[in-house]
Amino acid sequence: MKTFELNTTISNLQSLRESDLCTYDAVYLGNIYCRSFQENFLERLNDLKDGIAYVKDLGLRAYATSYGAPRNDALPKVQKALEAAVEAGADAIEVHNLGVLRMLHEQFPGTPAHIGGFANVYTDAGASALKDYGAVRFTPNYEISLEEINAIADTARLPAEILVHGKMPLGISDYCFLLEYEHKWEEKCPTLCQKCLLLKQGDWAMRSVGKGVLSGKDVCMLEHLRALVNAGHTVFRIEAAYESAAYRRDIGKIYRSALERAFAGDGRVDEANWDSIRQHTEIALCNGFYFGRTGGEYIGNVHEPAAVCRA
Amino acid sequence: MVELLAPAGNLEMAKAVVDSGANVVYVGARGWSRRRDAYELSDNQLHEAVAIVHAGGAKLRVAINTNMQSREIPLLLGKMEKFVSWGVDGAIMTDVGAIAEVHRRFPQLIIHASIGANVLNNEDVKFYRSIGVSQVVADTKLTLRELVSRQTDMDAGIEVLIHANKCYTYLGKCWMSPYHRLERTRDDFGKDLFRGSPNRGGLDYRVCLEQWGLYADNALLEPRIALKNDAFFYLDDIPALIDLGVHCLKIQGREYPIPLVAQIVCFYRELIDAYSANPADKSFDLEPWRVRLAAVQAERDAKRSNMTLVLLKEARQPVPHTT
Repeated sequence: MKTFELNTTISNLQSLRESDLCTYDAVYLGNIYCRSFQENFLERLNDLKDGIAYVKDLGLRAYATSYGAPRNDALPKVQKALEAAVEAGADAIEVHNLGVLRMLHEQFPGTPAHIGGFANVYTDAGASALKDYGAVRFTPNYEISLEEINAIADTARLPAEILVHGKMPLGISDYCFLLEYEHKWEEKCPTLCQKCLLLKQGDWAMRSVGKGVLSGKDVCMLEHLRALVNAGHTVFRIEAAYESAAYRRDIGKIYRSALERAFAGDGRVDEANWDSIRQHTEIALCNGFYFGRTGGEYIGNVHEPAAVCRA
Repeated sequence: MVELLAPAGNLEMAKAVVDSGANVVYVGARGWSRRRDAYELSDNQLHEAVAIVHAGGAKLRVAINTNMQSREIPLLLGKMEKFVSWGVDGAIMTDVGAIAEVHRRFPQLIIHASIGANVLNNEDVKFYRSIGVSQVVADTKLTLRELVSRQTDMDAGIEVLIHANKCYTYLGKCWMSPYHRLERTRDDFGKDLFRGSPNRGGLDYRVCLEQWGLYADNALLEPRIALKNDAFFYLDDIPALIDLGVHCLKIQGREYPIPLVAQIVCFYRELIDAYSANPADKSFDLEPWRVRLAAVQAERDAKRSNMTLVLLKEARQPVPHTT
């Protein structure tokens, strides 16, 4: 059977230690949105080193991520985080900012770079240009279709990392609006943004994480794994930077076994999985932009995805 | 001397902004720029625009700053072949791959990294320089201090938006709008138009400006959250930007009425000229300019509010599925 990688994202050492990672092959360490996120690996470099060692001791690959939108004032810290990650033996660095990609390539030549979703890879020519800077993998921009992703990966000969489950990033900001309101609430920064805060208007919903906006619905590609495998994809992510350890464990377990079946030629979904997914879904499911449609839509045999989730 | 760059959403606007004092005009190639098609120009119109703008002594830049698809890059190169032969003076672009391809094919063409490229730090500037970009548009969130460091350390030209909007998110790194509505159609030339995606098709439904309620565990925490997306005019910083030596002051607004855009261009032309003529040892009084700008701003705000309502209504319309 062809091997594949299932990975996830964890923002700090405490969450890492609380997580059961037995269904994963690799972990991205760090929170890309906010320097003030509670004990963010990217600000606590000893934690980052400990985290990398911890993940590697589990027999998994350890990747360090980097900030999604760093300004000049963040670059010295980014520099130190790159140094710490490379020194600790990170297997790759995820890069969302092209300036940071250039820094990595110039200062740590040979370090594998994974291009993150905020780096805006939309074309094969774009992916090819980034290969010259050490890119060995790319997460496509979230608003492109599978058809486009497949074409980029084939033409640029660069593996794509596919978000298969979790809340899809929708935007990143320099401004945390939650700080304007936190004086009214019990929970404060830096733990406030870890609560499940939903922006709602009618039937629209988005998850706010302060300096970032995520989809309110969870992307779910469980019914479409066979198509992903047939297209040649081998790297899959469960986006869980703001999720609980239970989410990582349960969703990881579902996708590990479903991917193993898909790689063995069986694309059927175990019906019992929907119960578990329901437990971890606040709004509903969607497919993101993979089918060239509105990002919040869901296409699949589960005709009423909202019905399998909590209202 | 700092350039004043003005928008043209049609040929009449191109003429009006040149007459009002713009040094450079930018237009969008239909289907390829970050605005809806009503404010873009067909190839024939673009050819005419080159003539109009050059006749007025100004330069013309073409915006091809959507994030296109891989298969559309050959189409783009074909278009650029025409535009270059017609004498466009520069291209405003976003996609890294498309920039690299255009620079390879047309090494003499001046390429400007669009606001959609979201060039945030000095290392970003170096990256874009390395793939062929000559000038970068500064993100609207950057401070004057950040621009100073860029101007000091970089060999790239800097363009600063003096009339635009400052979104809650970074421009080019937001797909909230197509998450709620995306309508995909293809034009007669094979270009996919992604209505609803500002990065891909130019039309943004401005869903950030909805009246969002904030909920935690199904409990309403705040009934109305403001995700800031404010249109702005620079005034107080204009003297500092000129002193700093930024290359270009850019006005956005292809979607506004021609008289309003002409008025804005005229205002900044006169302000730049007045400040430039002011002796260095004499203070420059901005108060009269502030009063004048307030009237322009009131008109702009009314137009923008109306447009936002129309866009939010459109965002709620069902998408006809053809595929």
